[in-house]
Amino acid sequence: MTAALEINDVHKWFGSHHVLDGFSLRIESGEVVGLLGPNGCGKSTVLNIVSKLLPYDSGQVRLMGKPLNELSYRARELVGVCTQHCALYPDLFPAENLHFFARLYGLSEKERHERVAELMRLFELGNFAKTRVGQLSGGWRQRLHLAVSLIHRPKLLVLDEPTAAVDLEARMDLWRLIEGLRDSGTTILLTSHHLAEAQRLCSRVALMRNGKVLAVGSVPELLARMPGQAVAKVQSEDSEAVVQRALGLGWQVRQHADQMRLLLPQLLSLREIVDALEGTKVSAVSVLPVTLDDVYLELMGDDLTPPSTI
Amino acid sequence: MHSSQLLWVQTMAVAHRLLLEQWRQKRGLIFWAVFPSTMMLLFGLVYAHNDSMRAGLDAAAAGILVGAALFFSCLGGTVAVIAAERERGTLPRLLTTPLHPAAYFLGVVIAQLLLALMQVVMLYSIAFSIGVQYRGSLFLGGLILLLSVFSYVGMGFFLGARFARRSEEVVVALSAIGVPLLVLGGTFFPLEIMPQGMQAFAQITPMLHMNQAFKGVAAYGMGWNELRFELSFLLVFCGLSLALGIQSYRHLLHVDKSQ
Repeated sequence: MTAALEINDVHKWFGSHHVLDGFSLRIESGEVVGLLGPNGCGKSTVLNIVSKLLPYDSGQVRLMGKPLNELSYRARELVGVCTQHCALYPDLFPAENLHFFARLYGLSEKERHERVAELMRLFELGNFAKTRVGQLSGGWRQRLHLAVSLIHRPKLLVLDEPTAAVDLEARMDLWRLIEGLRDSGTTILLTSHHLAEAQRLCSRVALMRNGKVLAVGSVPELLARMPGQAVAKVQSEDSEAVVQRALGLGWQVRQHADQMRLLLPQLLSLREIVDALEGTKVSAVSVLPVTLDDVYLELMGDDLTPPSTI
Repeated sequence: MHSSQLLWVQTMAVAHRLLLEQWRQKRGLIFWAVFPSTMMLLFGLVYAHNDSMRAGLDAAAAGILVGAALFFSCLGGTVAVIAAERERGTLPRLLTTPLHPAAYFLGVVIAQLLLALMQVVMLYSIAFSIGVQYRGSLFLGGLILLLSVFSYVGMGFFLGARFARRSEEVVVALSAIGVPLLVLGGTFFPLEIMPQGMQAFAQITPMLHMNQAFKGVAAYGMGWNELRFELSFLLVFCGLSLALGIQSYRHLLHVDKSQ
């Protein structure tokens, strides 16, 4: 079966900076794949290459089975792009923005009117039909931005940190909309700093660092790679004593920044953990099942700031 | 959709959007109309007050149209369009669509042409009402205006793509570069009253030749032969200006793609 997007061993330099170092990823039709990684790891460069905004130096990218560098500028019809910055026309009404972009994609008049009406309804923009886009709140503008990126029914939707610039409520709304797109079979490649976003929306996640993919898989597959099923975060005046006790119990210990994390073989209660660490001057402890945050930290190592969680 | 058909649809989409935005910016539209109208009325009052200058009124109307109204509307308007696209981040957004660069360029040209046509109608309506006469060929006058608009839009793309990063800079840059050019181009005063050195320098400014060409047709009823030099200059300048504008626009797209 032809993949919606296939990226093989792609390299990209900006001057002497090797931004993509053998990046590879395959996305099947209908999948939602999240690209996660620290700032500067090359996520946006991947999206810019897929959107035909940037050329790549070597490797191969195939969009709907066709080599990307052999496709004309009209290949942009295959992709819809939505970034965190709402690039819309503030003096126009929402539907006028949609009509403008629909015409750029060459939709016929009948098709254009139907599609604009459909998206206005789907994204619940009807109440703002006579509001200039510049007067909409950030969340509603981002909603419209997402609608614009879908105006031409793209084969692949590229979302570059789509909820980064909106408040929590708007983010939840956008998540529901993206879930709706996912459930209707839209193929999506998204980058995010919110691991919870990836965990909620993505069928697979690719963790990136230094221009390459460190791990890729579904969230349960990635969680299964962790050497534990739960993580206890511990504060103690005598860290060394905690480490020795934990190792003695067969637990693994991780130190990220100033935080000590104990990887537990199964989810234990707080009481069980406190009892196990008795006499090690523990002042605070919390415990949760492993999440994508933990996988991320495990794979990325100790020397970086983890992306935010909600 | 066939590529040429798509190009046309995209061109009209860009032109329609620009005109719609212009229409929505009511205050800008008022200033856009007030500036040449006021200039025309002021010049009309001055010329009507002095019998010896009355003959110059026809030329003044032509000068105000080409040298001032179209300069600020077409050149200033184009620079403002580019600056606004950059400021709002819509240029990278457009680059993710199949919008052909030529369609964008032509869309801006068509929008500016329509705005220029409205300026012509508005300004000459006032001019005719105060006794100005148009003496030459309408076709030749129209051609000169067309070449002037193309030249201004080309220059607008060049200045907008290379220099104007923010809307505020547009006003400052236009005032700093544009007003001296208008003076040198004989928009406000006849070339003959300028010192010799200034007259020589004025010869290399394109505005002078645009002014002289349109004044020649509109005010003095000159034809193709009498305006051969001015028309040739305008044609070459228009070609250069468009080439420079297109090249600058390509440069802008390249820069914005790399960011």
